[in-house]
Order: sequence, then C-alpha cells, then structure tokens
Amino acid sequence: MADLINVIENWLNKLLLGWGASPGLTQFILQALGSVLVVLICFMIVIALIWVERKLAGRIQDRFGPNRAGPFGIFQSFADIIKIFTKEYITPQGADKVTFNIAPVLAIASVLAIWAVFPFASNVIGADVNVGVLYIVAIGSFGILAILMAGWSSNNRYALLGASRSVAMLISYEIPMVVSLLIPVLLAHSMKLSAIIDTQRPWWFILVVPTAALIFLISSMAEIGKAPFDLLEAESELVAGYHTEYSGMKFGMFYVAEFLHQFTVGALITIFFLGGWTGPMAAHWPILGVIYFFGKAFLVYLVISWIRLSLPRIRIDEMLNLNWKFLIPVSFINLIGVAVADRILLDLEPPRWLYVAVMFVLNMLILLVALYLSGKSQPALEVEEFPHRPVAVSPRTEKSSS
Amino acid sequence: MQAYWVYIGIFLIVALGFPTIAVTLPALISPRKPNRRKQEVYECGIETKGNVRVQFKTQYYIYALLFLVFDIETIFLFPWAVSLGKLPLFAVIEGVIFIVILLAGLVYALREGALAWS
Amino acid sequence: MNEETKVLESFETAVLERFPDWVTPDEREGYQGLLVDPANLIDLMSSLRDELGYDHLTSLTGVDYLPDEKMEVVYHLVKSTGGPILEIKTQLPRSNPVAPSLVGLYPGAAFQEREAWDLLGIKFDGHPNLKRILMWEGFAGHPLRKDWVEAYHGEEKKPYDDRWPEGKARKIEADNPYRENVSYPEGFNPETWIPDTQELLFEGSQRFQLDDDLETEQLVVNLGPQHPSTHGVFRMVAKLEGETVVDLEPVMGYLHRNHEKIGEKNTFAMNMPYTDRLDYFCSMSNNFGYALTVEKLLGENYQPPERAQYIRVIMAELTRVLNHFMAIGFFLNDLGAYFTPALYTIKERELILDIFEAVAGSRMMCNYYRFGGVVRDLPEGMEEHIRKLVYERLPRQIDELDRYLVENEIVVARGRGVGVLTPEQAIGLSAAGPVLRASGVPYDIRRADPYSIYDRFDFDVAVRYHGDVYDRFLIRYDEIRQSIRILQQAIDGIPKGEVLANKKAYKYKMPKGEAYGRVEGPKGELGYYVVSDGTDNPWRYHVRAPSFINLTGLKQMCLGEKVADLVAILGSIDIVLGEVDR
Repeated sequence: MADLINVIENWLNKLLLGWGASPGLTQFILQALGSVLVVLICFMIVIALIWVERKLAGRIQDRFGPNRAGPFGIFQSFADIIKIFTKEYITPQGADKVTFNIAPVLAIASVLAIWAVFPFASNVIGADVNVGVLYIVAIGSFGILAILMAGWSSNNRYALLGASRSVAMLISYEIPMVVSLLIPVLLAHSMKLSAIIDTQRPWWFILVVPTAALIFLISSMAEIGKAPFDLLEAESELVAGYHTEYSGMKFGMFYVAEFLHQFTVGALITIFFLGGWTGPMAAHWPILGVIYFFGKAFLVYLVISWIRLSLPRIRIDEMLNLNWKFLIPVSFINLIGVAVADRILLDLEPPRWLYVAVMFVLNMLILLVALYLSGKSQPALEVEEFPHRPVAVSPRTEKSSS
Repeated sequence: MQAYWVYIGIFLIVALGFPTIAVTLPALISPRKPNRRKQEVYECGIETKGNVRVQFKTQYYIYALLFLVFDIETIFLFPWAVSLGKLPLFAVIEGVIFIVILLAGLVYALREGALAWS
Repeated sequence: MNEETKVLESFETAVLERFPDWVTPDEREGYQGLLVDPANLIDLMSSLRDELGYDHLTSLTGVDYLPDEKMEVVYHLVKSTGGPILEIKTQLPRSNPVAPSLVGLYPGAAFQEREAWDLLGIKFDGHPNLKRILMWEGFAGHPLRKDWVEAYHGEEKKPYDDRWPEGKARKIEADNPYRENVSYPEGFNPETWIPDTQELLFEGSQRFQLDDDLETEQLVVNLGPQHPSTHGVFRMVAKLEGETVVDLEPVMGYLHRNHEKIGEKNTFAMNMPYTDRLDYFCSMSNNFGYALTVEKLLGENYQPPERAQYIRVIMAELTRVLNHFMAIGFFLNDLGAYFTPALYTIKERELILDIFEAVAGSRMMCNYYRFGGVVRDLPEGMEEHIRKLVYERLPRQIDELDRYLVENEIVVARGRGVGVLTPEQAIGLSAAGPVLRASGVPYDIRRADPYSIYDRFDFDVAVRYHGDVYDRFLIRYDEIRQSIRILQQAIDGIPKGEVLANKKAYKYKMPKGEAYGRVEGPKGELGYYVVSDGTDNPWRYHVRAPSFINLTGLKQMCLGEKVADLVAILGSIDIVLGEVDR
C-alpha cells in the first residue's frame, strides 16, 4: 500500500509475463505506458494550472476570475479546449509551411522531454541517467529553436522581431542558468538527479547556496518568457510576438508549452534547490514524495505567477545588460567561491550544519557585495533638469492679488 | 543504464507524438475556408509591404557569439564539477583559473562596448 | 468678464501700437482680435513671437465665409508666461485660399495646418508635408466648406423636418443609393491607389551601411491601427534599425466622423451631448469648455449662478482625477504590467463614475452642463458622498498607488530619459496640459487665464522638470493631488441656491459673433471656437483637441528610442482617439 506505484508496476509486470510476453517486451510496454502516463499528467496539470493562474490573476487584480463554467469556473479550461479545438487553422501567405507547422509541436515537446528524467519519489524515477543535468540543459534549449522557427516562418514583422529578441535573450540567459545548475552538481558530486536529491537531506540546497537558487529562478523566468521578461511576446508592442500568426490548436500548443514550462521550472527548482520529493515520511511512503514534489513545484509556480502579475516589462537592452553585466559575472564568481570552499571544507570535514552555515554566509556575502558593487558602478541615470520658470499667471490675477 | 536511455527514447517519441496528434486532430474537425483576405499576414490591418525577412540588425548576433563561448565553457565545467571531490585542491584552482580567463574575456568585451546598444 | 476684456484690450492695443501698418482691429459685430494681410503674416508672427513673447500657438483653424467669398484663417496665440488669448485673423480669397505656413515659426502648426487643408481646403505655402490628415487621399472635396454636401444630404440644418413629411418616415438614403454616391477626386483610382505614408518611409530604407562593411536592412513596421496598445485605432509607421526607431509617421483619422461638420448642422444646444463623444473619458470637461464658450457669446445673462459654478468645478476636477487614474493605469499597461495596476486604477474611476451617474444619469456620456449652469442640482446626500471620497478615499488611494508604482525600478528604468521634450520644443510644438508641464513649463490655464471660479481656489500648478516619460507619468500624480485640494475646497465652500441662470431651453437666441473658450482639460488645453451668424445653428464650430495637438510632438519624442519605448511614449502622452480623430 505504501508503495502504490511500484505495486501497480509489479502487478502489470507479472500480468504481462503471465500472458507470455518476453521480459524485454514487458519492459518496453511498461516504459511506454509510463511515458504516456507522465505526458498525460503533464497535460492535465496544465489544464488545472491555467485555471489556477486565471483565478490567481483575478484575485491579485481585485476581480473574480473565471466563475461561470461550473463551480468557481473550474470547467473554464475545458470550455477553452473545446473552443480551441474547433478553431480554423490559418496559415499566412508566404509562410514557410513545414517550419510553421513543426514549431508548435517542437515547442511543447522540448518542455515535455525534460520530464523524462524527473524523480517524482524515492523509487518513482523516470530515467535516472548519470548525465541528468546535462540532459535537461540540452533538451531545454530546443524550445528556443521552436520560437525562432515560429517567428521566422510566419512571414510577419512582429513575429520576426519577437524571434530576434528571443534568440538574443534566451541564449543569454541560458548561461547563468547553466552555471547556477553547476552548483548543485558540484555539491552533490554527481549529475544524477536522484543523487542530487539525496544530498539535500536534510539541508536543502536553497539553504546552502541561496544565491545560486536566486540566479536560477531569475534566469529561468527569462527562459520561460514570463514578465518582467516577456519580451518575446511583448503584447503591448509586438501584438503577440512570435505566435502572432498562429491560430487554433497550434496557438494552443504554444500556450500550453508556456504554462508547462513555467511548471517545469518549478519542478526543476524543486529538484535542485528544494529537496525534490524529500519531506516528512516521504522515504517510507513514496506516494507522499510524489505529493511533496508536485506541491513544491506548484508553490514555485505560484511565486513566478505572482511576480509576473506584479511587475511591468523591462526593455531588451536593460534586460541584456542585467544578464551580461550582473547575472553572468555573479554566477561565475559564486561558482568559484562555492567550488573552492567546498573543496577546502571537504578536507576539514566539519559537521554538516557548520558546512551549511559557511556556505550560506559565503553565498550571501557574494550576493550582497555584487549588489553593492553594481549599485555603485551604475549610478542613477543622469537626466538633464530644465531650468525652472515662474508659474504662468494671468495679469489680472496678479493685479487682484497684489 | 541502457534501459533508462530506452525509456528516454520512448518518452521523446511520446512527447513528440502527443502534440502532433493534438495539432492534427482539430484539422479534421475544424472548418477550413481559406480566402485571400483571411490569409494575409497580420500587420495591424495594413497590408504588409516589402520583404519581411530582411537582414536584420547585427546587434543580436554578437550575443550569439558570446553565448557560444560561454556555453561551451560551462559544458567543460560539468565533468570538473562532478569530480571535484576527488580532485586535489590544485586541480580545483586550475578550473578556477579557466573560469577567470573567460571572465576576463567578458570584461574585455564589456570594456570594448561590444554589448552596448547603439 | 470686464476685467478680462480690459486686459485683453490692453494686449491688443499693445500689438496695434507696435505694428500699426500690419494689423487692423476686427470690427465686425461681435468679433474680436486683429486682422492681418496674409503677405505680412510671417513678419507679424515672428515679431509677435520674438518681441512680444507670444510663443505658444494654441489653435489654428479656418472659417469658410461663403457669402463674403472669403476664407479666414484664425490663429490663437498665448504667452507661455500667462495671460489671455491674442486672436489674429487673416482673410483669403475663397477661390484660391493660400496662406503662408507657420510651421517654421511654430512647429505645432504642422498638424493643425494639415487639418485646415484637409477639411477646408486652405493651402499653406511652405508646409513641408501638406497632405490630408483625417480624411484619406481618395476623398473628394473639403467637407467643412459650406458648399460641400455629404452623400446622404437631406437638409442644411437641424432640426430636420424633411424626413417625416406629412407624418411618414422617409429614408433619405433612398434618394442616393450606396455606391452611386461615392465620388473620388479627379484622377484618383481606388484600385491602384497605394497609401503613400508607407511608401515615403520605404524610400531610402533599402540598405544601411555599418562602419565595418556589414550591411543590415531597416524594417518598416506598422504599429496600429488594429494594435493592442495604440489606445484605439491610431497608427504609427515606424522605421526600425534593429530595435531603434529611426523614422516615424503618425497616421490618424480612422475614427473620423467630421464632428465639426455635424456640429455646424446641429443647433447650439444639440452640441452639448455631442461634445461628450470627443474625449469619452472626460465628458464633463468637454461640456465645461463648450458651455463656457457659448456663454461668452450669449453674454451677461447667462452667467451661471454660484452653486452651478461650484458644481461645474467639482465635476471638472473629478473628471481630471478619473482621467489621470486611467492614464496611470494604462501607462503601466503599456509598460507591460499585465493589467494589475490598470484594474486598481479603474476601481477608483468606477467610484467617480458612480457620482456622475447619480448627478447626470449617465456614467460616461454625461451631458450635464447647460448654458448658464448645469442641468439639475446634485441629488440628496451627494455632497456628503463626494466629501467622503475626496477627503478619505482618494488621498489614500493615490498614496497607495504612489507607494506601489513610483519607486518601481523597472518603471524608472523604462521612463527616465526616454522621449524627452525640452521646454522650448514643448512650447513650439503647441503641447498642452500634462505634456507641457512635465517639460518644465508651469502653464496651467486655471492659473494662466482663469475661467469660471478657479481664481478662488488655492492650488499649485504641477510641474516637473525633465520632460521624459517618467515625468509625464509622475505629473499625473501631482495633478490628482492638486485636484483633490481643489475638490476639498470646493465641496467645503459650495453654497445653496439655483443651478441654472435661465429657463431650460431647446433654442437660444444667439447674437452674432465669435468666441473662443478654453479650459484646462485633463489631457491639455481644450478649446472651442464658435462663430454664430445669428441663427440657431453655429456657423463654425471648431474643437481644439488636446490629444490631437499633443501628438504633433510624437515624432520628436520617439526618434532614437527603442520600439518598446514607442508604446511607453504614446501612453505617456495619454491620447483618446475620439478626440484625435473627431
């Protein structure tokens, strides 16, 4: 009972073997079932998330949010799905048809594929490969390609501008993201996701390396293109950015990919910095681990939504400056500091709590010094102040007042 | 280990297949009445003139070049980070020097104004 | 009134004494101002600007005097240091009306001269870009000319009676069926016509050489008319070099309905609800300006009673608060804040709209002011309600918005130093209202040329000194605060009494003459120029729309900025298309 998922797996395994399937085929069928299950869960999560996000947006913006379809509007997403399914596809003139049609599929596939390696609980792990982190980094980058393909193939100026921006922006923010991912790898001495989670018991990496966690959050938000970094689909200037020309389910795929990507970032932060599935009793009750995992990921998701709903958008040059002049140097210096400190502490063999404390202080120090220095090196923008003029008054009021 | 990669392979196929189905299915049920006006490129209600895919500003590609340098650097750093515990302090310092050299490159690029928007 | 006339006369005398050869006083019945020969216009204007300090050309328009076979161009000048309007007129032969263009002296004349050419067919010699602005190129004729008739023309003036002859309804459209009533200018073929705005920009944008043998191309992008953040159907054709704007051409007129022509067919009273539709956020201010102008024509008997004066001021200031709340919220939306600030500001707007609904019966199209007062008194308990709002709710809410938005680093980074307009440029471009004051020119008509009872209230003229997007954003906070001060004084000082000086009427006995009235609308100087020929309908009804004229400076502000800033700059000017296109 405690290990529901494995119980089912064993039962299925036995059943298939009993039917006379070879072990190899059984394995294959089980894996196929597992991956279909994960993908289905992803889609279900997105349907729920869209509703949650809209409800949250409503609350933050002092309105109700969806409240017509079903109790609290929970069927709103389903209504939207039905609508979007029956919408006509429109391919603009001059569009590169093949690229135009592949882009939405690739956009969502690149996000979905990350889920292949996620450890949901102590023994519910998709593929616990020894290069898990590298896999995530590599596969995640395909999303950029999808955006570029969409923007380029649409034959639309807004889409092209959005795509150009996205290339500059997404590849830039990939660097601090990867560098801050190096730090959990460095602390766990492994690229295996399960090993990284194991190392986080009982001290989550967010307590050990908060600066890395922060940089990862910021650069991931840029990667998924959420406000204040939503330049690639900047509504107020580029209409809808790279997916301006998409309609129906093709647009829906970009939309779903966006939400799923946000949730995936939540899951990534959970794995790398929030201890993954760990939590009270999770080792004994793997099903609890799954709940913890999704719960934490959901919390991070909400935080990102909250930020998105609170801030205006920053401009492309400001955004790239933030990346190249602040995030990249800080993340590399943080990496150097953590690597050296980790190596030295490894030899000294202090108690774990002391190790965590030293690392925490070091991280905060690096962050504070970096903030101080960046504040100093970039003085407030000097703008010319015009000479003060006397207030324009009518001659007759002057007379009457004097 | 191999089983994991098989799983990833299956997962990739499913991850590609699922959205493909989701995109093709509506094509069967949704209406399809194309006309010239409908298929015009959207440019705020104005007909698009001239070539859209122009040779665009070079500003963006400088970022691409820099990205390439740093991305490869970080890939090199992964094995270093994994084996950090087994390396002598000297090897760790070597890695640090490697990073510092690249950071110096970044500082140089910044000083030269390669990343400034004109 | 007398005081004002005296000051004005002394100003006019000064000009008369200074340039006796060039100007003559306009001595037609009910007319003021000075007449000048078109040949001397440029000399006179440059002397006026440079020697007498008339540096702000507020309004430029034309009048078609069909019976006299004359076209008249009317210029309204003010000093940016305050004082009443100086009215200069020049008369042209109707057969070939050519006036010298003032764009060289006052860049702010650019759009207004184009409008006069478009609607009245007055040519301006020396205008760099004299094209139609509100109409399209395929429009035959100049609609504000008195001999131009529209396609479904039935009768000259309202109220119509020919549509119900003998009690039966008759569709005037049947006389003139669709497609047969369309006429194009000579040599115009709509099938082969290419909008030239875009062509102009495409010229010279083929290749762009960088220093080091790299070639890139420039991109011409349309922002609008169907665009989420042009605040309606406004279009900007921008030429981009990467993300930087190197050229810009605003295109307007998509919402044009020839407000002024319809206004000339209406009776004077009928125009009151019609002004609501100009700046549909601020119908109360629009009413205010129109009522003041017509009261100038009507004379002493139509001065509103004390209580009506207070009600007028209260409603106008509430309108300003409402408009600036909207401006703040939607400016943040233009910066990409995904509706959160906008919805909070809309909440405050709703509270004010509730008041409007209670007093006028309508939330947006108020139609509340009348010549000589307001249409009805405040309902029971409304004073208390407004007092609560202006003493408790609004000050608290504006402080809250201030705390959330003003110090926000992204807002500062997006706004500081972007879209700068220097004071000299702002005055030259005839900017008005918040745009002018954010550029360091403390010019507020409520102080510079007080109307109604504004000289009784104690308030400061909001002014900011950087002229950038951020200052135009901040000045709206300042103005809300000042408006709240005025509101507090007004609601404390409001007397009891009548609200309408005369009986309610459908028609007014209008004396002959002309009047130019202006109020400090939330978006800038809202002016009305009305000419009466003694009949029930105005001979000329012109609106000086602040949004329209503030847009003259748009190109100036946008050049060299990023695409994203275009939207921010447009948002900071705060335009309403109902008023721009009229």
